[in-house]
Amino acid sequence: MQMVKKSVLVLLVTWLAIVILMPKQEIYYKLEEALDSYEIRLNEEKKSEGLFSLNLKGVTVYVKGINVATIDEVNFFTLLFYSSVELRSLLVDDSLKTMIPQETTSAVLEHSILSPLDVSVMASGSFGALTGNIDLNERTVHLDFNESKNIQMLKPSLKKSEKGWVYETSF
Amino acid sequence: MKHLFKPQVVTGLWIFLIVLLVIKVLWFLLEVVWLPSSGLDQLEERGGKALYYRAKLSPNEAPAPTIRKKTAPIAGSIKDITLLAIYNASDITVVTVEYKRKTKVLAKGDEINGFVLEGAGPNYATFSKNSKIYKVTLRITSNGHTAIQPSTPSSTAPSSRKNKAEGDVVDAGDHKIVDKSLLEHYAANVEDIYKNIGIKEIKKGKEGKGFSISFIRKGSPFAKLGLKRGDVIESINGQKIDSEKAAFDMYKNIKNIDNLSLVIKRGKEEMELEYEVN
Repeated sequence: MQMVKKSVLVLLVTWLAIVILMPKQEIYYKLEEALDSYEIRLNEEKKSEGLFSLNLKGVTVYVKGINVATIDEVNFFTLLFYSSVELRSLLVDDSLKTMIPQETTSAVLEHSILSPLDVSVMASGSFGALTGNIDLNERTVHLDFNESKNIQMLKPSLKKSEKGWVYETSF
Repeated sequence: MKHLFKPQVVTGLWIFLIVLLVIKVLWFLLEVVWLPSSGLDQLEERGGKALYYRAKLSPNEAPAPTIRKKTAPIAGSIKDITLLAIYNASDITVVTVEYKRKTKVLAKGDEINGFVLEGAGPNYATFSKNSKIYKVTLRITSNGHTAIQPSTPSSTAPSSRKNKAEGDVVDAGDHKIVDKSLLEHYAANVEDIYKNIGIKEIKKGKEGKGFSISFIRKGSPFAKLGLKRGDVIESINGQKIDSEKAAFDMYKNIKNIDNLSLVIKRGKEEMELEYEVN
């Protein structure tokens, strides 16, 4: 029994040490490198590391050098067995508002070890609210617009289902 | 000798410290070997680019062949004004005109598009501008009647052209005039551009060389500008269009421009096209 206790304790300490000592900023830089290969760049005004998270404030999103959106706050959180990315107040550039909804109040992407090949998505904003998932195995994205409003510009790429409007794509 | 701490506690502490050290070292190695030490930031340009002009200063080289379709800039054109109705009494003259697809009622002395209403005859109105007098005759409809219309637009008409671009490119004979409202429409409806013209970035290595026109809709304002499929747009208003960012920056500023000049490459020939924006 004593041995089990010790093992659990060592495992707990190891897990905590891995998460807390994780070089979160450097991992974020690696993510920036990966995004750069798709010509996407993120400029942030402020970065701050927490024990389990990395917080970015005043993020500007550039695609091919074009300023396409700003995000007030991005929060990366991980416990290894559960991770999430939370975006608050994403505002698309004025010139693109006829193509995509201009404001996303909040968007959350969650990954859990219980379904390792699945990322769940939740978002709300000027388009209403949506839930969905990203299947990492099938490489597909499925989004259900539960409450849809002001999505005229998106309708050409949406499908109508019994529950409402659905967006599906693969990558 | 009596121990200060229990040996199990000391062992536990050692294990704890060793675990921390091992993990820290592993993370450190990962940082050194695989993770970058700094991020990638997009360099932002502060302020607008200065307008520049191309000039060949070398005396030994012949200048690049350039075909110029030059126009004398005019602030406004009388052709934009269509006379719809006249009320001419001894004490008052009132006319209804159509300008930029909107009807307006003008009294003597009122100004539209820079032209001042001076008077009217039985089937014409006279306007003045820069000490010159312009005569606009009454529009006649296909059934032979004069097109006397109410001054307020019809309630059914706007809905049918709700999403249609206002304004057009007008061929004024020796020059072409781009209606400012057309630019304003495209500034607010980017998708309408792609319905009329397809462009594709041309690169030589990593360097952008312009945008090639992959398709152009017949009768569209872009076709009326004189652009053709296969033309390569190299610069707009003196700004090189050598990247998607440069093209997008130009697009974002499109409603604020007062003149429009395009440098295009058609085959091996470089051409400069100039337009009046009104």
